[in-house]
Amino acid sequence: MVDLLFYVAALLSVLCALGVVISENPVQSVLMLLGSFLGIAVIYLLAGFQFLAAIQVLVYGGAIMVLFLFVVMLLNLGDPEVQADEPLFHGRGRVTGGLGVALAALAVLLTASRGTALAPVETYLWPEGGLDPLLGMAEAMFGRYVLPFEAASVLLLATAVGVMALAKRQRTKRAIAPAPLESKEAAA
Amino acid sequence: MAFLTLLLKASLIYGGLLGTAALMTLAERKVSAWMQLRVGPNRVGPGGLLQPLADGVKFILKEEVTPDGANMWIFRLAPMLAAIPAMMTVAVVPFAGQVELFGLDFGNLSVTDLDIGLLFILALSGLSVYGVILGGWASNSKYSLLGGLRASAQMVSYELSLIMTALAVVALTGAMDLREIVAAQAGSIFNWNVFTPVVGQVGLVLFVIATFAETNRHPFDFAECEPELVGGFHTEYSSMKFALFFLGEYCAMTVMACLTTVLFLGGYQVPFWEDAPWFVQLGAFGAKVGFFLFLFIWVRWTLPRFRYDQLMNLGWKVFLPVALANLLVVGALIALGWA
Repeated sequence: MVDLLFYVAALLSVLCALGVVISENPVQSVLMLLGSFLGIAVIYLLAGFQFLAAIQVLVYGGAIMVLFLFVVMLLNLGDPEVQADEPLFHGRGRVTGGLGVALAALAVLLTASRGTALAPVETYLWPEGGLDPLLGMAEAMFGRYVLPFEAASVLLLATAVGVMALAKRQRTKRAIAPAPLESKEAAA
Repeated sequence: MAFLTLLLKASLIYGGLLGTAALMTLAERKVSAWMQLRVGPNRVGPGGLLQPLADGVKFILKEEVTPDGANMWIFRLAPMLAAIPAMMTVAVVPFAGQVELFGLDFGNLSVTDLDIGLLFILALSGLSVYGVILGGWASNSKYSLLGGLRASAQMVSYELSLIMTALAVVALTGAMDLREIVAAQAGSIFNWNVFTPVVGQVGLVLFVIATFAETNRHPFDFAECEPELVGGFHTEYSSMKFALFFLGEYCAMTVMACLTTVLFLGGYQVPFWEDAPWFVQLGAFGAKVGFFLFLFIWVRWTLPRFRYDQLMNLGWKVFLPVALANLLVVGALIALGWA
């Protein structure tokens, strides 16, 4: 039963993740991403992480994806036909996208060949003493791996700032262009 | 037997929730009529009591209209997304303690008791915003879209204060299980969380107001602000699809009233009567929840609507800092051993 549920949830999240890239409508993409996140939440539940599943739904499902939708809906206010004319994947995008899919498939195959996918997590977080899974995670995150954890958060912050700086620079360049209205639509 | 008990409890609790939501639609009109010196609906059944039933029949018989250029899938999905998460949240609400009837033990009166009951409610009520946003977007109408946009910004902003305030209670109690939070407030009335000096009262006020914003109720109902947006996100909806939005809103209100009761007013605890029988506890719980449900209606027909920028300023510049300070004070109290 648990195995079956795991495969259903895994299939759901992988298919939805594919849908994010394939669907032509940005709002649909966001919905697909939401479906993918919910599938991952189910996998957390199956692994015994009730808390993590709830946080996944609360933070990603309830807050971050709502902000995504908010932004996408604002961008989408223009004429939808303008966007439909653009090709789905550009030359370089096709190569990187294909590489990404190939890598992901390789990872899935490798994991599958090692037996059940959940086993390593279980053995790490449920040692012989029967430690609470949440406690085990907290110990790992704020004890043994506190430095990588904090480094990852700083890295994410730096990435967010970098993306904003890049996006901002592009926009100011475009603003000098003779037809600001058209370029704005192209950016959307 | 265990499965039958669960089925019985689930159907009774869900029936109760839907019944409360239906009665709330009547109470809304009756109370508003009373406040404005009108009579209100009084034709169907004794004192208009069967009005919700008549409304239901009317909703089913109405024509379903789908606007031109609407995204069919999402247009149909949105009402379900609005109603279902709101109804699911009631599963973890503890209505009373141990139920014993005809010599049979039915266990605690709630569908299920989760360790993370509070998170379960907050996570699912966070999901119910999608119904409003997507309904507004899929309708292909500018008024609906604006309503959906407002709802998304508003609910994300107030969810923060809501969670921070609830977190203060979690820190005081040391549990996210709603039944444990209730159990910690047993005995004297001064054990209720609302009587914790300063942080209890501040928390209750913050939580109730954030609840109003989270359920899109007056004076924060900008998603459907009639004078500006026709009907907001549900302008283009008709028939049962519209009824589902309505139902979702009233279910969310009911569950939020239950949650406020559990977090601050001792849940089903009867003051000074620790081991009261379950029906007395259920009555006490119903009375407390009823007060908050009345408050929802009371405020709606008393206060004028805010402006949208006022709402955002209030959420980010007042509520969030105060909620954070509240949490900080609770932390300090615990560190000093005073709570």
